Amino acid sequence: MGLALLSLVLMFADSRFDFLGRVRYYIAIVVTPLHLMADLPSRTSDAFHNFFKTRTDLEDDNLRLQDEMLMLQFKLQKLDHLDAENQRLNELLKATYIIDDVAVRAQLLGESPDPFSKRVIINKGSNEGVFIGQPVIDAHGLMGQVVQVEPLTSWVLLITDPLHATPVQVNRNGLRAIAAGTSDILHQLMLENVSITADIQVGDELVTSGLDQRLPAGYPVGVVSSVKNDPGQSFANIKVTPSAQLDRSRNVLLLFSSAESKAARAAAKIEAGGNALQSTPRVEGRQ
Amino acid sequence: MVDISGKSRNIWVIVLSLVFAGVLAIVPIPLWLALWRPDWIALTLIYWVIALPHRIGMVAAWLVGLLVDVLEGTLLGLHAIVLMMSAYIALTLYQRLRMFTPLQQSLTILMLIGAGQLLIFWVQAATGQNTADNLAFVISSMTSALLWPLVFVCLRFCRRSFNVG
Repeated sequence: MGLALLSLVLMFADSRFDFLGRVRYYIAIVVTPLHLMADLPSRTSDAFHNFFKTRTDLEDDNLRLQDEMLMLQFKLQKLDHLDAENQRLNELLKATYIIDDVAVRAQLLGESPDPFSKRVIINKGSNEGVFIGQPVIDAHGLMGQVVQVEPLTSWVLLITDPLHATPVQVNRNGLRAIAAGTSDILHQLMLENVSITADIQVGDELVTSGLDQRLPAGYPVGVVSSVKNDPGQSFANIKVTPSAQLDRSRNVLLLFSSAESKAARAAAKIEAGGNALQSTPRVEGRQ
Repeated sequence: MVDISGKSRNIWVIVLSLVFAGVLAIVPIPLWLALWRPDWIALTLIYWVIALPHRIGMVAAWLVGLLVDVLEGTLLGLHAIVLMMSAYIALTLYQRLRMFTPLQQSLTILMLIGAGQLLIFWVQAATGQNTADNLAFVISSMTSALLWPLVFVCLRFCRRSFNVG
């Protein structure tokens, strides 16, 4: 009976306040090995595949990657120029320019066993300086943000979870909106409270607007997949397919924005050497 | 006959089986299969309660539940209270459950785990953690009931060969 009462109190406290995060943090030390064990089969099969790759496969891969790198470098040249120009223009406007973010690589360990909750667990925790609210992206776009930090792992709430809403902006015309997750079992977003007359078309790209002061601006969120105007409703029904490969990506990036934590960034650098990626060399010059 | 006052023997088998169930509970599986994932931890725990009611009771169930809450990232105390209630019902029923045929046992397990899932669903809906508007979560208790005979036979084999008591 006492224990039943205790769990009721725990549940209430956990849903209202956040001091139980510490309790969870220490219990997680016992539980983390289970996550590592559950991840073992996929990791061994990966290792197996790598070990038995043929020479021709590797050569093909190598050629393909070199091609890709060439293309990306070509694009980056233009981007550097545009970036610099953008900064000059922003300085003319006396606007504060957002310095590029530092990203640290992490790997997915697993996802929430509850199919209705879209949360994943990654293999970096407070030991690597991960903090609550930290944005997580993959190679294609925004994935979500950190909601629970444990010593060696942390939980990421994906943008398609019904509890998550992302402030976005249409790339084409700058229109602002809020993309909320859905309780749909597939990964999908809905634009909330957009009037029927708003200029949004199928195929429009959405990026983060940064107005929540938490997720950095300018990261791709999704592409509008359908726009339905029901005359009986006051708002349009707009569905968005997320850009990030939420159900496929295994490698993710944790963003440390420049203002947030210089200490964490330094720690990440010392820890990994090559592991901390810098999006542009210009940041280096500023430090 | 079971020696109730004696020292516990080979408790590590129980711990190991629960760890194994925990891994099965979080191992990544495709989305369409995730709805069908049986509640491995509850199955294992209920087996041990029925087999060794003097060793595994409500306190053990509560502790396991607390670990499950951290493992699955759910509200702290939610699985604890649900597993403890399952253990309570299993404790009151264990003498009858041992006499039941496999089919009767499976039906009881369906009720036990289904009630637990319903409770979890209620609490999660009340705290805004789950906004699913259908009863799809019941599927998992059905697969649990279907797999119960298998779990029962496997764990009984473990208990007998390691002489757990």
